[in-house]
Amino acid sequence: MVDPVTTRRITYWCLFLLIWAFVMFVRLLPIDIQAGGWPGPNWLILFAYAWVLRRPNFVPVLLAAILFFLDDMIFMQIPGLLAGLSLIGLEFLRSRARFSRELPFLFEWTMVAGTILCIMVANRLISALFVVTQPGFGLESFYFVVTVATYPVVVLISSQILGVRQAAPGEVDQMGQRV
Amino acid sequence: MAKERYGNENFTRRIRQILVGGLVLSLFAVFLLWRIDSPRVERFRAALVDKIVPSFDWALVPVTKVAGMVEGFQSYNKIYEQNQALRRDLLQMKAWKEAALQLEQENAKLLDLNKVRLDPKLTFVTGVVLADSGSPFRQSVLLNIGARDGIVDGWATTDGLGLVGRISGVGQNSARVILLTDSNSRIPVTIQPSGQRAMLAGDNSGAPPVEFIETPELVRPGDRVVSSGDGGVFPPGLLVGHVALGVDGRLRVRLSADYERLEFLRVLRNPSFHGLSDTGQLLILEDKSQTSNDQTDQVTQANDG
Repeated sequence: MVDPVTTRRITYWCLFLLIWAFVMFVRLLPIDIQAGGWPGPNWLILFAYAWVLRRPNFVPVLLAAILFFLDDMIFMQIPGLLAGLSLIGLEFLRSRARFSRELPFLFEWTMVAGTILCIMVANRLISALFVVTQPGFGLESFYFVVTVATYPVVVLISSQILGVRQAAPGEVDQMGQRV
Repeated sequence: MAKERYGNENFTRRIRQILVGGLVLSLFAVFLLWRIDSPRVERFRAALVDKIVPSFDWALVPVTKVAGMVEGFQSYNKIYEQNQALRRDLLQMKAWKEAALQLEQENAKLLDLNKVRLDPKLTFVTGVVLADSGSPFRQSVLLNIGARDGIVDGWATTDGLGLVGRISGVGQNSARVILLTDSNSRIPVTIQPSGQRAMLAGDNSGAPPVEFIETPELVRPGDRVVSSGDGGVFPPGLLVGHVALGVDGRLRVRLSADYERLEFLRVLRNPSFHGLSDTGQLLILEDKSQTSNDQTDQVTQANDG
């Protein structure tokens, strides 16, 4: 028999996959093809980071890597670069997850914003180094602002609707270890 | 016991670090490979997209249709004004139609006098827009036709009226079209009636600017912009749009293709062009330019006729 903790974890992996599929589906809809619109937030990064700070178990690194990479490939971004940087950011936040639990939300928000900012700056620097055409600076800054501003919404959806909450201080897993 | 578990945890953490490092390295390796050998990675991308996106087809089509219906329903509110506008347009069009018919007859006579034979290979394949595969920073769409239908990288795509973009990335059942508005799109164009050669360079905005005009004084807003066929990638004489003066003072092109509703796209078969398989291939196209020039004359006549 599969124990309930593993079932729960696998359920959340599937949920994460579903969220990605849904976001991708909506972006793929050929309804508004016109150029010149404003970019929306990067939902995949936001969900991954919001979840990894709450339940690191729910965002396995392999799944996240595959999804980041597919995102790069399908939407014509530079293959691998943003995915690799996002993965580094994910692991950085994962290592801070235990530490950020006791701190207020504002601090967590700042930390995520800082991580995303580092990713975008590194993305631009590496693109410039390898002479890849880059999007306009204004457009990308706007993209950053929108993404960071959406973070509380993603956290709210995750914790209130999907039930991805921080573990309570005394909570233990089935092995008796602290979560 | 406790110590053993601690050691165990240490071991799994080490394994994890190696896994994460390996993943990050392999992702960056893909990026490097793309930088070195772009066509190979782009082919892989096309194959990957070809596997994933058509599996969403069953849901994409109905949702798009419903959205279109909602939009159509909203436009019922303005039906009276629309009707009036259409009547006015129709009146103008009747006059144009008369002129076009006369010109067509004249053209047919002239073609007959010159014994011109149009190139029978100049045909097109029509595809349906399957998905919007662009990001905020890239403009492209996916078509439901691909290598199976004989689509080749680099062919021109129109919506029946104006140029829309260029095929870039062909999978078995899907092909990607880079739109003229994409920041990587560069199309050689001719501005009529002055005959100025220029480049249409996409910049992620709705109206791409025209660059490298020799004497900009000769160009006026409202001039027609057609593809020039330089470089042999596009057939010449395809309508692109009309020149307009942007708010930033640059000359931009208002595209003739209706980018708001791209639904069916025509991919023009271009027999003189067999795709770019290599990054350096454009440079050695010189010796073919003579033959392609001959072809271009015929194409122009085909478009006129």
